[in-house]
Amino acid sequence: MKESVTILFPVCLPIVAGLLLLLVRQPKKRSVIIWCSAAVWTVTALCVMGLVCGEETSFTLFFLTGRLPVYFRIDGIGKIFASVITIVWVLAGFYSFVYMKEETCEKRFFGYYLIVLGVLLALDFSGNLITFYAFYEMLTLLSMPLVLHERSREAVMAGLKYMFYSFCGAYMVLFGVYFVYRYANTLSFTAKGVLDPALLSGNEGLLLTAAFFMVLGFSVKAGMFPFHGWLPVAHPVAPAPASAVLSGIIVKAGVLGIVRVVYFIFGADFLRGTWVQTAMLTLSLTTVFMGSMLAYIEKGLKKRLAYSTVSQVSYILFGLFLLDPAGLTGSLLHVVFHAFIKCGLFLCAGAFIFKTGKHTVGELTGIGKEMPVTVWCYTLCSLALIGIPPASGFISKWYLCVGAFHAKLAAFSWLGPVVLLVSALLTAGYLLPVTIRGFLPGADYDYGSLVKKEPVKMMLAPLVILAALAFVLGVVPEALIRNFSAVAAQMM
Amino acid sequence: MNPVMMLAAVLLPIIGGALVMALPFKKRLHMEIYLEVLVLATSILVWAILAEGPGERFPIVKFVHNLSLSLKLDGCGMVFAGLVSALWPLAMLFSFEYMKKEEHEKVFFMFYTMTYGVTLGISFAEDMLTMYFFYELLTLVTVPLVLHTLTREAILASRKYLYYSLGGAAFAFISLVFLLVYGSSLDFSYGGVLVTEMTAGKENTLLVVYVMAFLGFGVKAAVCPFNAWLPQAGVAPTPVTALLHAVAVVKAGAFAIIRLTYYSFGTDFLAGSWAQKAVMGIVIFTIVYGCSRAVKETHIKRRLAYSTISNLSYVLFGVTIMTPLGLAGAFTHLVFHAVMKICSFFCAGAIMHQTDKHYVHELNGLGKEMPAVFGTFTVSSLALMGVPGLCGFISKWNLANAAVMSGNAMAYVGIGALLVSALLTAIYMLSIVVRAFFPPTEFDEAGTKEYRDPNWLMLTPLFVFAAAMLFFGLYSAPIVQFFTDISNGVM
Amino acid sequence: MDFVQNFPFFSIILSMFSGTVSSVLPARAAKILNTALISVVGMMSAVLLAYLMGTGESYVYWMGHFPAPWGNEIRAGVLEAGMALFFCIIMLLSVMGGRKKLIGEVEYSKHNLYYILTNLLLSSLLALVYTNDLFTAYVFVEINTIAACGLIMIRQNGRTVEAAVRYMIMSLLGSGLFLISLCTLYDLTGHLLMSNIKEAVAVLAQRQEYQIPLMTTIGLMCTGLAIKSALFPFHSWLPDAYGYSTVSSAAMLSSLVSKGYIFLLIKIFYRVIGFDIIVHGKIINILFLFGLLGMVVGSLSAIRENDIRRMIAYSSVAQIGYIYMGFGLGTEAGITASIYHILAHAATKSLLFIAAIGLTDVSGGSRRFQDLSGAGYRHKIAGVAFTVGALSMVGVPMFSGFVSKLLFAEASIGHTYKMFPAVIVLGVSTILNAIYFMKTVIRIYVPEKRPDFEVITVKDEKEYSLTLVCFIVLNVALGMLSQPIEGWIHAGLAMFG
Repeated sequence: MKESVTILFPVCLPIVAGLLLLLVRQPKKRSVIIWCSAAVWTVTALCVMGLVCGEETSFTLFFLTGRLPVYFRIDGIGKIFASVITIVWVLAGFYSFVYMKEETCEKRFFGYYLIVLGVLLALDFSGNLITFYAFYEMLTLLSMPLVLHERSREAVMAGLKYMFYSFCGAYMVLFGVYFVYRYANTLSFTAKGVLDPALLSGNEGLLLTAAFFMVLGFSVKAGMFPFHGWLPVAHPVAPAPASAVLSGIIVKAGVLGIVRVVYFIFGADFLRGTWVQTAMLTLSLTTVFMGSMLAYIEKGLKKRLAYSTVSQVSYILFGLFLLDPAGLTGSLLHVVFHAFIKCGLFLCAGAFIFKTGKHTVGELTGIGKEMPVTVWCYTLCSLALIGIPPASGFISKWYLCVGAFHAKLAAFSWLGPVVLLVSALLTAGYLLPVTIRGFLPGADYDYGSLVKKEPVKMMLAPLVILAALAFVLGVVPEALIRNFSAVAAQMM
Repeated sequence: MNPVMMLAAVLLPIIGGALVMALPFKKRLHMEIYLEVLVLATSILVWAILAEGPGERFPIVKFVHNLSLSLKLDGCGMVFAGLVSALWPLAMLFSFEYMKKEEHEKVFFMFYTMTYGVTLGISFAEDMLTMYFFYELLTLVTVPLVLHTLTREAILASRKYLYYSLGGAAFAFISLVFLLVYGSSLDFSYGGVLVTEMTAGKENTLLVVYVMAFLGFGVKAAVCPFNAWLPQAGVAPTPVTALLHAVAVVKAGAFAIIRLTYYSFGTDFLAGSWAQKAVMGIVIFTIVYGCSRAVKETHIKRRLAYSTISNLSYVLFGVTIMTPLGLAGAFTHLVFHAVMKICSFFCAGAIMHQTDKHYVHELNGLGKEMPAVFGTFTVSSLALMGVPGLCGFISKWNLANAAVMSGNAMAYVGIGALLVSALLTAIYMLSIVVRAFFPPTEFDEAGTKEYRDPNWLMLTPLFVFAAAMLFFGLYSAPIVQFFTDISNGVM
Repeated sequence: MDFVQNFPFFSIILSMFSGTVSSVLPARAAKILNTALISVVGMMSAVLLAYLMGTGESYVYWMGHFPAPWGNEIRAGVLEAGMALFFCIIMLLSVMGGRKKLIGEVEYSKHNLYYILTNLLLSSLLALVYTNDLFTAYVFVEINTIAACGLIMIRQNGRTVEAAVRYMIMSLLGSGLFLISLCTLYDLTGHLLMSNIKEAVAVLAQRQEYQIPLMTTIGLMCTGLAIKSALFPFHSWLPDAYGYSTVSSAAMLSSLVSKGYIFLLIKIFYRVIGFDIIVHGKIINILFLFGLLGMVVGSLSAIRENDIRRMIAYSSVAQIGYIYMGFGLGTEAGITASIYHILAHAATKSLLFIAAIGLTDVSGGSRRFQDLSGAGYRHKIAGVAFTVGALSMVGVPMFSGFVSKLLFAEASIGHTYKMFPAVIVLGVSTILNAIYFMKTVIRIYVPEKRPDFEVITVKDEKEYSLTLVCFIVLNVALGMLSQPIEGWIHAGLAMFG
């Protein structure tokens, strides 16, 4: 593995640029901000592409205390997450050029938008638990301004709620970290775990508790029951591009944390068949079902999508806790697909609001007539999320179910797939009405006042690309599956 | 280094401070220069002493029996002396500006300077009696500072402070007598002074005495249920609240408990006993209690005071783990918390000084007008929460690590308490930050336009502290190593 | 026989004699005589103390060379001599400190009467200290009572008369009990001289005879003296008597009169009954209990008080409790602590009374706390002195109170049952002390512009200020030089034999 400082470049560039943007005076022209930002994330994206395609790289920055280095490393998992993040970030970024025109304090939005990108990349490239934890806390702090951007009382409260929930999770993680530090040889992420068998014997119960707390802690950001309360509050109040990345990407930081803890710190073998696995599977399945139900009865579109995130991210978690290569592959696939799909859905919802100011599903009757392209994108994404072949969601769900059968976990082997299916039905139930009502508004729809409201190309392009990705990746998934299976196999 | 220098360091600020009243200063500036030079000279003297390392004992006065007042420098004292000597000159600088608005500042500066000497006396004390003496003296010289504003509130607060402190000392005093009887001497020696042959069969009695003394000294360290004085004492001018009620006085309590636990009773005697469980339980409860009250409180200084209560118990938690690592953790937090809390108090002071606002809900949108103050406040908030990269993380890490290493189940609960408290810290600190930087839209921007950052006298300490927090957060290995050496009894 | 050995007798007779002479002297001359007398007696005691320290043993002095059981004996050891010296110092300072106030409070024509009473008080105290004869002790107890009553009543207003009557009734009750116990003891042993009684009691104890009457006697004796020295629950006379009499009287009453009785009790323990018998009896447990109660109740009453003089008076109740608590421990260390506390308390309490009067003077004569605000600024030296006294009472190191507290705590350690009650009540009592004394200190240093009140500087009242300075020095000396003093107490107790 080569040591290279280049790893820091995509991390530092957006952070520094974002800080500069926050600190400098408001420039006269809006376009200055926009094009600077665009330049920065394009360069960053190129760097990330370079790193992802290159070999595994690592870099030790400095030592926090005697045994705690701040250490970066790019490995298979990091590459997957980093690529997804970059793609979504760039697309949502271009979308926001148009969307944010109507909002105040654009400078602040783009500043934090850039910083969060850097922090997320740092999170993906973190090579040990402490580095990861450090950036995890920073992520919470720095993404909070995106949530409360609109600064209505509701938004501020949501921002605080988001932050405090996340810190609560982070501290649960820290609780576990303390114990892991005692019983592990190192805190560097190593496939199959780092626990020292000599120290471990006799303390399994303690370590399992630690593992439970760590996983539970990270699951806060992933919106798993019982810590999902912040998510439906925080995501909808943010501006649409922010909601999109929050729901599509930032929740995945929690997923990444769980992957790191389960497969790189404790090791799948240590947790397999323990009460921790049972508890986590139960919780994730509960969340899958509950999230869908709540989404189904929710009226506001963005909030409905937020509940949908709660449900969908727990699909991923379910796959992770199966501790099975197929399940893990399914999870990783779903990470990627859900990122594109959810981002696309939120951007669509944003486009509806931006153009018509309509928030609830009921108001959107006939929207398909006004904004057909947008609604088509929405529909494609919905189909993918429901998992109708050949759209992408089908592939990931397939692998999840295969994993569930493989894992041989008594009840969960059949209960898991059943819940996933029921949830898929509910997904159809809460997503498709927009499409159906949008295109088939019914007899009493007033066609006379129909105005075409299709958004500008800059806004439409990201939508189309995301929808296409969501669909096409389902049609030609082989490369992804091969790649991800290899990564998953390494981790077991 | 001649051990007389220690006495000189103790007396210099006491006498110099008393002279403030006598000297005829023509201008305020002259007094400021005089005081700053005095305090700096003392600090330099202290650093010179510290650089020399542990030294011989220096007896001052002889009392009954074999009791005497004597000074001696050891590792534990070095930590505390080093801490206060670093903070005092900066705090002085801050208070020059702050006290411009207050009346009879000469009295204030007199006692403020004298407190420095007394605090040094506590850290240099060689034995329990000397420490007790300076400890009582500390109470007395700080009362006028609490009393300063002479409002009804201040009177009540200073009374309460006095009653609590003297009462606590009275119980601590009992332990002194027991040590006199059952110990080989009152001197502080690492590992304790109890004589095994004499204590045989009396263990429980001595443990009861230990718990009483812990609570007695714990009054200054604001251990629950003896913490009520601290938030109330917040009526004092901010330099007092910041330096004394976040560092010197309250840390003197924690320092005394360290002395009591590690240097008088000895951890061999205490570890594993019911007394350890009892005090640890109290401390853990205080950690959570302090934070919860801070969340509820809306007065900025009182909120910070409650936060201090909780954080002091972090230090005591380290102490009650009763292992060398625990002591190292306690030292780390003792020092780091001092930096963090003094910074946040100074920010609060700067806010109150510039805007006359005292309550959290009045701070909406001030971050834009006073970026330096709120920036440093944010840094100190994050440090207090224990965000990695700032010093609070290191001290929490060391404490938790010690707790894990101790293998004591109750200490595990303590870790949980630390983290719950960290979450609550996030709530009570960041809600201020968010308010200041991201006020709700209905807030009227015109109302805050008149406010500005304070001048350099106030800002310098803030920046120095913020830099220190970052520095220690990123590069703490040498200082932590130093603490570990001390707590292993090397120094 | 060395000439010095006559000094105890000289001091007693000199004081009685000058008391008599003062009745025909004008006030001014009486004042000078009084001062001279106290100084001379003090000097004689000092010389005697030095002499006894030199020889290292006590001696018995036969009045008129009649041997016992017919003659009257005086006995002097270092403890007695030192006590006499100390009483003289305190008395001198108290009289000096209260002199100016006396003019305002007592009719000028009665001033010589005042000095007569003071002289008599001194003589009776000296007699209590030195006598080796129990009946003589009784006689001087009565003289002491009468002198004390006079000192209370001499400030003629309704309150003092009432206080004096109360004091008289309680005191006489005490004396009566003492007399009865004296008679019983005489019946049991056939002696009145202390050393003889002790031998007889030892024989009785050995033979296990008359145990119940003996215990009853000791009980009566303790009760009698406890009433006279205002041990809780017999303290009801005290606040009025100390609170309303003139300041010198209050200082003397609190620091000398009650201490004289306590010293007599110590003598009875050691010289009459024998310390072993006392320790094995149950009576000290009762003393211990009431001592502890007194410590708490006295302080609680002081906290409730809104009159500075009465507050200090109630504080005395608590301090007497400390002393009896020390007795109750039943060890020599306990007695040592008690004796030390007699000194410490005498020095501190008279200081407080004298300082308080300075503070009330600058507050329009009012003793209520609300008027005392800022008094410490209007009368600086009194404020400082009061603070010193208060700190000493609270037990801050360097002052006398700290040492006695240390000794008490040290003495109590090791007892099976009494240790924890003692140390905990010590702690609680310290807190309570802190509450009312520090409240007052804060009060007098809270500046309040009161243009209607006069301001007194050191120059205005030189004698008064000097007195306070002496008191402060005395207090600090007791706090710092505790080692020789403790050695002296040990030597004295050893001489008691």
